[in-house]
Amino acid sequence: MRKVIMGNHAVSYGVRACDVKVLSAYPITPQTQVVELLSEMCASGEIDAKFIKVESEHSAMTACVGASAAGVRAFTATSAQGLLLMHEVLHWAVGARLPIVLANINRAVGPPWSIWTDQNDSLSQRDVGWLQIYCESNQETQDTIVQAFKIAETVKLPVMLVLDAFFLSHTFEIVDILEAKDVRKFLPPYVAETKIDVDDPHSFGNLGSPSEYFELRYMIQKAMEEARDVVKDVDIEFKEHFGRGYGVVHPYRCDGADVILVTSGTVASTTRAVIDEMRDEGIKIGSLKIRLFRPFPVEEVYEVLSKAKKVAVIDRNISFGHHGIFFQEIKSALYGRTDVPIFGYITGLGGRDVTPKVIREIADRAVSDEKQERDINWIGVKV
Amino acid sequence: MGEKITFKSYKEMPINAMSIADMTWNLTGSWRNIRPYYDFKMSPCRLGCPAMEDIQRYIFLVTEKRYEEAWGAIIENNPMPAVTGRVCFHPCMDKCTRKDFDQAINIPAIERSLGDMGLENRDWMKKVDASKKEKVAVVGSGPAGLSCAFYLARMGYQVAMFESEKALGGILRWGIPEYRLPNDVVDRVISQILGSGPITVRAETTVGRDIGLDELEKEYDAIFLGLGLMKSRSLGIEGEKGKGIEPGLEFLKKVNSGETVSPGKRAVVVGGGNTAMDVARCARRTGSDVTVVYRRTMNEMPAIKDEIEEAEKEGVHFHFLAAPKEVVRSGGKLAKVVFQEMELGEPDESGRRRPVPVEGRTFELEVDTLFTAIGEQADLTGIEKKVECEWNMIKTTGEAGETSSARIFAGGDVVTGAASVVDAVAAGRKAAGKLDRIFTSADEPAVEEPKTVGIEEINTAYFHQTKRTLVPRIPVEEALKGYLEINSGFLPEQLEAEADRCFSCGVCNFCDNCWMYCPDVAIVRLEDSYEVNYDFCKGCLVCVVECPRGCISTREEGK
Repeated sequence: MRKVIMGNHAVSYGVRACDVKVLSAYPITPQTQVVELLSEMCASGEIDAKFIKVESEHSAMTACVGASAAGVRAFTATSAQGLLLMHEVLHWAVGARLPIVLANINRAVGPPWSIWTDQNDSLSQRDVGWLQIYCESNQETQDTIVQAFKIAETVKLPVMLVLDAFFLSHTFEIVDILEAKDVRKFLPPYVAETKIDVDDPHSFGNLGSPSEYFELRYMIQKAMEEARDVVKDVDIEFKEHFGRGYGVVHPYRCDGADVILVTSGTVASTTRAVIDEMRDEGIKIGSLKIRLFRPFPVEEVYEVLSKAKKVAVIDRNISFGHHGIFFQEIKSALYGRTDVPIFGYITGLGGRDVTPKVIREIADRAVSDEKQERDINWIGVKV
Repeated sequence: MGEKITFKSYKEMPINAMSIADMTWNLTGSWRNIRPYYDFKMSPCRLGCPAMEDIQRYIFLVTEKRYEEAWGAIIENNPMPAVTGRVCFHPCMDKCTRKDFDQAINIPAIERSLGDMGLENRDWMKKVDASKKEKVAVVGSGPAGLSCAFYLARMGYQVAMFESEKALGGILRWGIPEYRLPNDVVDRVISQILGSGPITVRAETTVGRDIGLDELEKEYDAIFLGLGLMKSRSLGIEGEKGKGIEPGLEFLKKVNSGETVSPGKRAVVVGGGNTAMDVARCARRTGSDVTVVYRRTMNEMPAIKDEIEEAEKEGVHFHFLAAPKEVVRSGGKLAKVVFQEMELGEPDESGRRRPVPVEGRTFELEVDTLFTAIGEQADLTGIEKKVECEWNMIKTTGEAGETSSARIFAGGDVVTGAASVVDAVAAGRKAAGKLDRIFTSADEPAVEEPKTVGIEEINTAYFHQTKRTLVPRIPVEEALKGYLEINSGFLPEQLEAEADRCFSCGVCNFCDNCWMYCPDVAIVRLEDSYEVNYDFCKGCLVCVVECPRGCISTREEGK
């Protein structure tokens, strides 16, 4: 069945199909409709889950940790300050190896108070050990939720879906709705490897001395490395079931491209329109969307970018005191393997529009600039 | 609990931080690595009391207005709280934790209130009948003898008390002036003790003279000697025998018997102990100008500090670092006394600095009566041939007052030298307990070092700083008019107020703090105690911190 729905509801529909048993969230714009629709689905019996109302995002994530530790699927959604309030418990979910799925609607962090999009909220959770997948369309969002549970339960790490506030969360698109009965064939019922069980009592989350802690962290990294393949394999399997796949990166018209623009989120779609326009003008340019951010798809990125003469990274985020975060990641991925110059552009912070005109300006500069003058090229800032 | 596991590789480890072993031995997992448990200690005041009175307990019972039980709690260790509440030197107060916070609890005043209630409420003392075949002779009816007789009688033994005087009480009756301890109180205490069980009295019978220890041994299964020290020590100077020089104890005995005494215009008391203070203050009540002459300084005075202060308040003068050297008589009357000036030399075996004469330095005082109060001696006539004595005291070989003779025990001043009522009470009780164990062939109780708490274990956030409740006293000018008791005892509201100040160190008084604060609702309230439900206690130890009085201890899990 195809429906015209908003991005937030695409999240809800994805969750609806996954036999999730515990939902817990605290309302925050621009995420609210995600759990609003889910709570209605719970109330109507459309999904058989417990919806736990809480007083904060910290508690929402804690409820998910408890549910997941008890061996059931758990889901939550949040934005910005909410995600930051969860921070401590995000670590817990990783350390306890709990396959929780979270949808974060990218919202700029206050102050100044903002409800509009940028990526600093999710990217500031880069190192906690959650997988991060950045979505571009409502269809991809719904489908990625289903993939996320499968990935999470395979590698035993939590997965965070990320979508842009308003540009995606509140934008209506046609979505081919997934039904639980079909999804079940792809995503079998969840059987936890370890769980809290009164008939087999163990202590969880206990003290770990230096003689064990290190190894447990080693195992998390190994799981992350394994996840690079798992994300790809799950995507392929999903495509076999439902005819749609997204890859871990999405190269667009990169064959023979001298310049490649690196993007993420909804900026990727806008960029592709600009690529088409410039290709029509005979400019050899392409784009690469980064879908999987953690674990970072180093090989796929190298494969595409090493063939270009210039790389331009568009960041809707900033690591204060250094530079754009995707820019850092790309540089780190290519370090020592290619001499291709990499340019970093920061734009669209706090929800400022990243229009085709803005991207064209970036592309033109990338094409004409011979030498990198500085790491950060600010686009659109009133200096 | 399983053995310690050491992983050789991450492959042997669980995927997350979880115990491999079954955790039913500790349902909170490794959360609780320290276990709190109720561990009531012994309050420091009790440790400070020679008689080991359960002070915390009777004060707690007072706060609950359970006066009969409170009195009963004292009686377990001391049969005469009405006496000790008046005259004890209260070492308990020196140990009181509250002194490190504001001021020590007025324990003797509380004890006295309960003691007086026990005399008023005659039905509180339940009479015990003879239930054992053994008979014990108790010689001397001072605090040691009364205590020993009382505790033996409580256990059903038949006691015969022997007393030289017509009236019982020993030092309580003859040695302590009525303004501190009225005769009426002594009478009622003795009557209560004698009425409490199978105790018979043979007054005006001096053991060793009128009846021999050998005879007593034939008739009785054991003997307790609580003879006391009833003779004043002599000064050992020229002219000591004669008019104008009087042993302090004899003077006190006259005063307590209601005899008229007239020490004259100028009285001098030689000595620095409690007898000296009593003599000086009694002499003041006859209108004499009284000077206490002591060979050391005030710091070395063995008298109770309160007594020294009272004497000063009543106008007694003190002259330190002097000792009588020579008595000068004129016309058969005492005219003056020559005193040798002293200075403090090296410490002696008591730890106090020894007084030594300052060569060539003397002074004279015009004196009508000179009282000697430099110590008391026992009269061991007829005793010393039966039990081993040393320095005119009975030598004991054990804690319970065992002597060189198997079934003869001794206690009180005749063993220790001049000590206190409470020490004598303790000695009498210990001997009674030991005799019972001998008669019943019972094992000696295991001696454990009692655990106690100090100010560090008290959560002082729960207490307000308050002043000690002082006992109402009659003014000095009233006091000097006669022998009216100076200390008139707590009013009921004062008793309550002072009892409320008690920290109840180390002993639960059911304040419910642990129960209220436990974040895991793991404290279970039982009828008259609490317990920890270890299925839920995560070992946060909030209860330990929030217990105002240090009743909860901790130990490591699995150890």
